[in-house]
Amino acid sequence: MKSRLRSIWCNLFYKHEVEKDLDAEVRAFVNMVADEKMAAGDSQEEAQRRALAECGGIEQVKQSVRDDRSGVIFENLWQDLHFGTRQLGRNPVFAIAGVLMLGIGIGANTAIFTFFNSVLLRPLPYPEPNLLTNILSELGNSSRAPASMFELYQIRQRSREFDQIAGIWVTNRALPGKGDAEQGKLGVVTSNFLPLFCTRPMLGRFFDPEDDLENAPSTTVLSHELWVRKFGADPRIIGTSVILGRGSSVVIGVLPQDFRLIFPEDASVPPNVDYFQSIPIGPWEPNGPAFLHLVGRLRNAQGLAAAQAELRSIAAQINNIGARTRVPNYHLYAFSLQDDDVREVRGTLYLLFGAVAFVLLIGCANVASLLMVRSRQRLHETTIRAALGASTFRLIQQILIETLVIVFLGGAVALMLGWAALKAIIAVEPPSFANLGHVSLDLRVLGFTFAIALWISVIVALAPISTLRRLRLAEDLKRSGRSTARRRSKTTTVLVATEVAFAFVLLIGTGLLVRTFANILRVDPGFRPENVLTLRVNVPNYDVLREMQLALTAIPGVQSVSSVSHLPLDDSGNWYDYYWKDGAPVGQQNTVMADMRSVLPGYFGTIGAQLIQGRDFTDSDDAAHQHVALIDEGLARQLWPGELALGKRINVSDSPQGPYQFERDWLVIVGVIRHVRCHTLIATVRPQIYLPYPLAPRPSMSLVIRTDGALPGLASAVRKSIVGLNRNIPTTHVEPLLSVVERARAQSRFMSVLAALLSIVALQLALGGIYGVLSYSVVLRTAEIGIRMAVGARHTQIMRLVFADGFVPVTFGIMAGTTLSVVSMPLLDHLLFEIKPGSPEVYLLSIVSILALSGIAMLVPALRAIEIDPLTALACE
Amino acid sequence: MPGNRLPILQGTLDLLILKAIGDSEFHGLGISRRIEQTTCGAFHVTPGSLFPALHRMEVAGWLLSQWGESENNRRAKYYRLTDHGKRQLKTETGQWKKVVLAMANALKSI
Repeated sequence: MKSRLRSIWCNLFYKHEVEKDLDAEVRAFVNMVADEKMAAGDSQEEAQRRALAECGGIEQVKQSVRDDRSGVIFENLWQDLHFGTRQLGRNPVFAIAGVLMLGIGIGANTAIFTFFNSVLLRPLPYPEPNLLTNILSELGNSSRAPASMFELYQIRQRSREFDQIAGIWVTNRALPGKGDAEQGKLGVVTSNFLPLFCTRPMLGRFFDPEDDLENAPSTTVLSHELWVRKFGADPRIIGTSVILGRGSSVVIGVLPQDFRLIFPEDASVPPNVDYFQSIPIGPWEPNGPAFLHLVGRLRNAQGLAAAQAELRSIAAQINNIGARTRVPNYHLYAFSLQDDDVREVRGTLYLLFGAVAFVLLIGCANVASLLMVRSRQRLHETTIRAALGASTFRLIQQILIETLVIVFLGGAVALMLGWAALKAIIAVEPPSFANLGHVSLDLRVLGFTFAIALWISVIVALAPISTLRRLRLAEDLKRSGRSTARRRSKTTTVLVATEVAFAFVLLIGTGLLVRTFANILRVDPGFRPENVLTLRVNVPNYDVLREMQLALTAIPGVQSVSSVSHLPLDDSGNWYDYYWKDGAPVGQQNTVMADMRSVLPGYFGTIGAQLIQGRDFTDSDDAAHQHVALIDEGLARQLWPGELALGKRINVSDSPQGPYQFERDWLVIVGVIRHVRCHTLIATVRPQIYLPYPLAPRPSMSLVIRTDGALPGLASAVRKSIVGLNRNIPTTHVEPLLSVVERARAQSRFMSVLAALLSIVALQLALGGIYGVLSYSVVLRTAEIGIRMAVGARHTQIMRLVFADGFVPVTFGIMAGTTLSVVSMPLLDHLLFEIKPGSPEVYLLSIVSILALSGIAMLVPALRAIEIDPLTALACE
Repeated sequence: MPGNRLPILQGTLDLLILKAIGDSEFHGLGISRRIEQTTCGAFHVTPGSLFPALHRMEVAGWLLSQWGESENNRRAKYYRLTDHGKRQLKTETGQWKKVVLAMANALKSI
């Protein structure tokens, strides 16, 4: 062992001596053989020659000793690494191109995989997340509908497959605590809800069924954030009573810092709820409002199918006991919470992943063709090295190392790029991913990236080695580095065609997504958001709201001021309920839902919505007069097709007695407006019913203020004016209505920007590939082109020659790309708006741009070709 | 001579070299010639396989080398066995005998 270590030591650090020693030893051997030959009668020269021949070459012997020696691996590795980096340094364009191509490919992959990881692979941060399910009902024309307390109670009574069924409803309320009144999010939950999502509170306890008893004091669980902000992180808060609205409530617990609710977007359950209060589970009344989002915990992880079946039969039973749900298509469904959370984004993520994989493949193909071209250029050098005694293994090792240097540098670049890309993606805050919380590059992603890097290195290394295997020593030496007019190989044609095909598919996808975004920009949402400022306020009653409306209207430059319970396109909360028209049979009641909005007079004019028939609300539309409503055109058409809706009656829930004291009521239609898109820009989700504020008072309202033009000091003027009322009214979310609309466009913008970036990268890579391969082919054909020019070929003919060479793979690529797109683009359909996945316009544009761009990429090599001087070209031969 | 030359069996080269050196000291050519002599020319060790083997065995600690003068006044590197090398010779010889016996038996039984 000692001798071995010493040997490695000597080999590494006294290499010079060791080499001299070896040389002397082998030479001595040859000389001694020569001595023998001379003794046998040969001349000195003859003896020397025969001795050398017998020994098989001094260098070869030395090399075989080196190869065999201990430390050889290290030394060769070191040598090759050194050689490899030196070679790469000598050819920095090649090195940088290779590193960047891989870096971009792998980096984009890392970023997207991190998303994948945190969105699809990482389990939800709850105890036994695989047991949690969403329970949704379908009835009438609403799928994924919320449940009433009656339904929750009935399901709980009957279910065996679920060991817990809980409900939550999130609403805007005043925050507990002293100081300025402030609006926040209250989670109204059944007492068994929080334990499903959190093992134990950070302080205190969760709700008990005792808290729901009739005479129990009001109890509250605080979020960590609220506890720190409003109560100074005081642990003695537990058990004390805090001010809450006009009453008080006992704080019984504080949630851990990292507690988040991760629900599907349409559940209207935001991730950060400020505080929770419990709601008693009871039979309630069968026709009560449906507002609860239900969550069930399965008894075991395999129970989802059984639970589905059970819910089917429970739905039938509930229907039979004469509930609101007595409709033929009332169903209950359970979905795994994790799957349901990512339902909307899963497709998008897979698509992104596919697109990024394409970019990576293009990068790979590029590096492979680069290496291939290089290895052919270096054929002469390789041949000489082989002749000088380098074993094939050693040559392969050397190429492998050079490749690995590129790949690992590429991997390092990728890690940085991926990190930056992830930061950028998070900064854009794609809306559908917003509730997925903290995303960071983790070790698994790191491993994934390097797995990719290694995998590529093997593939890429195979490319040059395949030419090495065909090495004919003597033949190649004879040619002695003279380039032949060999045509570009089939392999490079295939590689370039592949690159073009993948880039083409990405281009088509981008075209479709960009067109979608353009279409969304053109959508008329049913109101004019320009020059409208919005803010949220918490108001005690109608009089204060009216007072505020009048005070704000007095601000110079303000056209009109009004108020609404839910701003359009601001999906942070919703109020929707069943409605039916006068004379609807019982079976049709409680089947269809509309979005309900409580507004002040002047709302429609202020946001720029269009009144089609009838009149707006007036100040005298209150509980004391006739109860009236406005509806949108869709509802009017649906309920009274071909008839005038004005003067007809409609049954809805309102609360003239006070906030949230709902009762069924008949309202007379006094006006019809054009539909206002209020959930997404691209779809009408539900019809709309507008109620005058006195019929549906609520503490949390949004003010809308239309001005004559841009009014720079408006926000502060509005705040000052509200403070001047001296009513202690909290104002939050002061922002132009236009930015609310912008947010609604964010998803589409995000997708089209990302797709555009990816296809720009892909195009650049592909064009780089075309350029590189063609440039090289011009170099290879220098002699041929020289001869052609010498015998009188014109410049145009030479250029045509080069272009023909380039357009063959491009054409194949476009053909393959078109086929691939036709097959794959329908997958994009759910992201598209007002454009078909097979849009001929997009295809045509993509084909034209690919042809034009690759023409540009070919121009430089073509120009270089006509600059070839026939004399020099021939002299080189 | 080339007529009765045999290829060197895999794994036997080390044993041949160790045995050729024995208790004395030889340079490379000496070892090569001695192997030829003792095997009546059946085995011819080329420098391409001799030197790697010598260096390997030196690294393994079986051989010690030292520069000296040859009979023709040439500087040459001389190899001799270490104690470890002698033990190795004994083991390998024993093993070889077993191999020969086993092979002989195997061939006899056919």
